[in-house]
Amino acid sequence: MTGDPLFHDGVDLVDIGIMGLKVVVAFGFLLVATMFMVWFERKLISDMQNRIGPNVAGPWGLLQTFADGVKFFFKEDLRPENADPLVFRLAPYISAVTAFLSFAIVPVGGVFKDVPGTTGTVNIFGRETFLQVADPPIGILLLLAMSSIAVYGIMLAGWSSGSKYPLIGSVRASAQAISYEAALGMSVVAVVILAGTLSTHDIVAHQAGGINTWFLVTSGVIPFIVFLIAATAELNRPPFDLVEAEQELVGGFHTEYSSIRFALFFLAEFMNVITMSAIMVTLFFGGPAGPIFFGLTWFWPTIWFMSKVMVFLFIFVWFRATLPRLRYDQLMDLGWKVLIPLSLFWLMFISLKELRASNDWNWIATYAAAAGGLLLGGTLLITALRAGDRAYQKDSEDA
Amino acid sequence: MEQYLPVLTLGVLAILFVLLSIVTSRLLAPERRTLPKFAPYECGITDQTAIPERFPVKFYLVAMLFIMFDIEIIFLYPWAVANNELGLFGLIAMAIFVGIFFLSFAYELAMGGLNWGPGKRVSNPLVSPERTTTSTIRKVGLEGRTPSVASSSETEAA
Repeated sequence: MTGDPLFHDGVDLVDIGIMGLKVVVAFGFLLVATMFMVWFERKLISDMQNRIGPNVAGPWGLLQTFADGVKFFFKEDLRPENADPLVFRLAPYISAVTAFLSFAIVPVGGVFKDVPGTTGTVNIFGRETFLQVADPPIGILLLLAMSSIAVYGIMLAGWSSGSKYPLIGSVRASAQAISYEAALGMSVVAVVILAGTLSTHDIVAHQAGGINTWFLVTSGVIPFIVFLIAATAELNRPPFDLVEAEQELVGGFHTEYSSIRFALFFLAEFMNVITMSAIMVTLFFGGPAGPIFFGLTWFWPTIWFMSKVMVFLFIFVWFRATLPRLRYDQLMDLGWKVLIPLSLFWLMFISLKELRASNDWNWIATYAAAAGGLLLGGTLLITALRAGDRAYQKDSEDA
Repeated sequence: MEQYLPVLTLGVLAILFVLLSIVTSRLLAPERRTLPKFAPYECGITDQTAIPERFPVKFYLVAMLFIMFDIEIIFLYPWAVANNELGLFGLIAMAIFVGIFFLSFAYELAMGGLNWGPGKRVSNPLVSPERTTTSTIRKVGLEGRTPSVASSSETEAA
């Protein structure tokens, strides 16, 4: 039986109640976490830039985001006359709803141990269940689907605004997002090969045996690095924030949005940062799995999960404070010419490595085959890149 | 199928949240409409040019290439899940598929389809290998933009 054990023996009212509770808690948690994430980013960036940052609303400025959010409700909601009325209204829905839905597959707790019957469940009102909103058998695909649909939110917002800056911003954003989506998807394939499943709960269960069973280690560090870079680009975070390059595009795709509609885009953006950090922890860092010391057993995994996510939230802010923005051609080159070939090779290599381990093949022959593949692919790639540069140069000289 | 029930519930909750936020804002926000507020944003000046309707064909190329890659990823996932059961047969089949795919990708690269930057890495004639303060300070304007002017100004600097 796969999936959440809550639904295994039919669905009754208690099951629905527990599910509703989990959904509402996750929903509330996401909203509050997003609020603090915005504060955290502003405060941390201030520290890194030797400023004070928000410090008026609430202790240490903690309520600054809340105050900003309330203010958005009282702002005039404008729709430019050139805007497409229906699509202009639809776009914030797409962005916000996909941001919420991506989080549904993240396991945030549950006792993961190699003891039969106790893998990753907690007991709520006498029912065994996973501490994650949903555990559909296609888990990871849901995330990829949501991040693909989120591109529509950006694209439609920019297109429907009837203004040039949003349009340029959104076309850039879509090209960037789909470029890195391919690398993102392929780096996850390496994890799926190792885990043999798409369910996020089972992926975490495979990593419950300690740090050396984390997929970060067992997949080699490369898929993680590719995933981190691709996720940063996918989130339009610095140094890949060309979408919102203030100096040339004003606000990017949401230039024409004001009031609460703008707030929704903003919310979705920061919510996606949290979700991506959580996904990275799930895929490569064992999610909520970790040692349990004393007291409440269900408490520790959630603490582990939160601390791991915090590290990535810090890293995303750190990126923003440290790295200058890439040029557009550098961005596209990195995505298509480095990350995609690299992750493509690496997933074939991981597959070969796994098959060697399970079938006991001769390791010299196996790695010779891998090296041959790398040599062949690498030569082809480098030849193609050189030819491409020549062809492009010739074209631009003719023009 | 009931495993998707929470996803659906969360989706409905999210839609309600967005809807309620927008409705609340509509009730609370002022409506003082003036004509300039409805003009497309143009840094505070009157809009002079029409919205661009055409785009570099490159963006479409990227989108088409992405569809290719997305289909490849769709094929990769089922194979990845069943990697150990399929064994060598699956690996060889996938290697052939990825190989053919990579060949077409390399072809696109070789035609310069994914190059974006300036076509030529211009080595600026104004900055000579033996850099001095006079050679690195560049004039702003038309000078130095074309090779002929550049070479003449270089001789001036020398």
